[in-house]
Amino acid sequence: MSAEFELTRNITIGQYLPTASVVHRLDPRFKLGAFVILILAIAICDTYVGNLFALAICIWMFQISKIPLHYGISGIKPAIPFIIILAIMQLLFYGEVVNGGTVYLKYGFITITSESVRLVIVSAMRFVEVIFLSSVLTLSTSTTELTHGMERLLGPLEKVKFPVHAFALIITIAVRFVPTFAMEMEKMMKAQASRGADFGTGEWWRIIQRTKDMFPIIIPLFNVALSRAEDLILAMEARCYTPGAARTRYTQYKAVGKDYVALIASIVISAVMLAIPW
Amino acid sequence: MEKGLTVRKIVIAGVLGAIAILLGVTRLGYIPVPTAAGNATIMHIPAVIGGIMEGWGVGMIIGLIFGVSSFLNATVPLFKDPLVAILPRLFIGVTAYLTYVGLKNVNQYLAIGAAGFIGAMTNTILVLGMAVIRGYMTLGVATTVAITSGLPEAIVSVIVTLAVVAAWKKLGSVGRQKSKISGDL
Repeated sequence: MSAEFELTRNITIGQYLPTASVVHRLDPRFKLGAFVILILAIAICDTYVGNLFALAICIWMFQISKIPLHYGISGIKPAIPFIIILAIMQLLFYGEVVNGGTVYLKYGFITITSESVRLVIVSAMRFVEVIFLSSVLTLSTSTTELTHGMERLLGPLEKVKFPVHAFALIITIAVRFVPTFAMEMEKMMKAQASRGADFGTGEWWRIIQRTKDMFPIIIPLFNVALSRAEDLILAMEARCYTPGAARTRYTQYKAVGKDYVALIASIVISAVMLAIPW
Repeated sequence: MEKGLTVRKIVIAGVLGAIAILLGVTRLGYIPVPTAAGNATIMHIPAVIGGIMEGWGVGMIIGLIFGVSSFLNATVPLFKDPLVAILPRLFIGVTAYLTYVGLKNVNQYLAIGAAGFIGAMTNTILVLGMAVIRGYMTLGVATTVAITSGLPEAIVSVIVTLAVVAAWKKLGSVGRQKSKISGDL
């Protein structure tokens, strides 16, 4: 029961683990670019071996960034029941939707084909891979570095009057506040549970009950979030923050050899992943 | 995207975006329903609230964050398509804002509730419409999903939006905004 409330333990987004590895020291612009390429490749790749290869690469990423693998695994844990339910539903109902493949079983409206089995397995693997990759990225990059990287990658959009700096700041605030709100949510769930609320324990098919159980968490969460937003607005204005003003940086990034190597490596890995035919 | 984002707009968009991400990663934002879509979502609610509170630009940015996070978390091919996962979500906050502005002189509560409803329906209709256009679903399946998961979504959205926005605006009394610089004084 109590494990259900340990949200902060399971959320790896927005947390930073300084291990001073080579991944930590990469130029954030190049690092972000490399991860975006890898994630896109995983999103497209739909072969068994390609995904196994991607999974191996993800685990290897934990190794070289000196981050314990359990950080990545704990990000997957809360989603396991969801993955299983979804996998079963996909297996039963997607046979008709996915074209091709040999039919293994056809009974009434249930069709299981080799392609729908592939879909189920590949989507579960993809899920794990994307969580692993995003965990490595956020655990090895501080929010400041992440913002800087994003701002530079979106830089060309400035030409079409897109507020790149403001947008990067919004993303930073969003990522920064995820663990904070997770903690708030955990507190609220524990507070409600100690008063005898039994949310989250209802069977998944009791949809109305489960939805009702959510209200005492979701609504206060919004209120807490908005009052934190007010504090932050006040703090930023007190320091005379002006959106869109030209500003300089304390830290200047300069790409060196290993940054280019990382970017090229990610392109090569993605190409190999997509080229594997099975 | 409007020019001149104020500090208030930036921060509110960021904070509500954080809730959208949190609901996605903890899976609390998903209500499992036995349909082809897999689940009903309440992750569009931050975009609706952002749209009502700070205008269509903020609503659109939160919609973008929701869309990207749903694209990255997706386990079904339907939401692995950015045209389905991201594009329709941009409009949730926009329609919610327009509904709110259109009705707010009639009755504040009605306007907020209607914005919650329209925002949720925008999500359902545009996502399913896009799914039909892109050939992931037939029109019949999409209609069933719209009724079985779209309607509950819309009802939940109305309740949460009303509770949060009405409490925040403290209808009938002075607002809770601390900062008077970027607030509408």
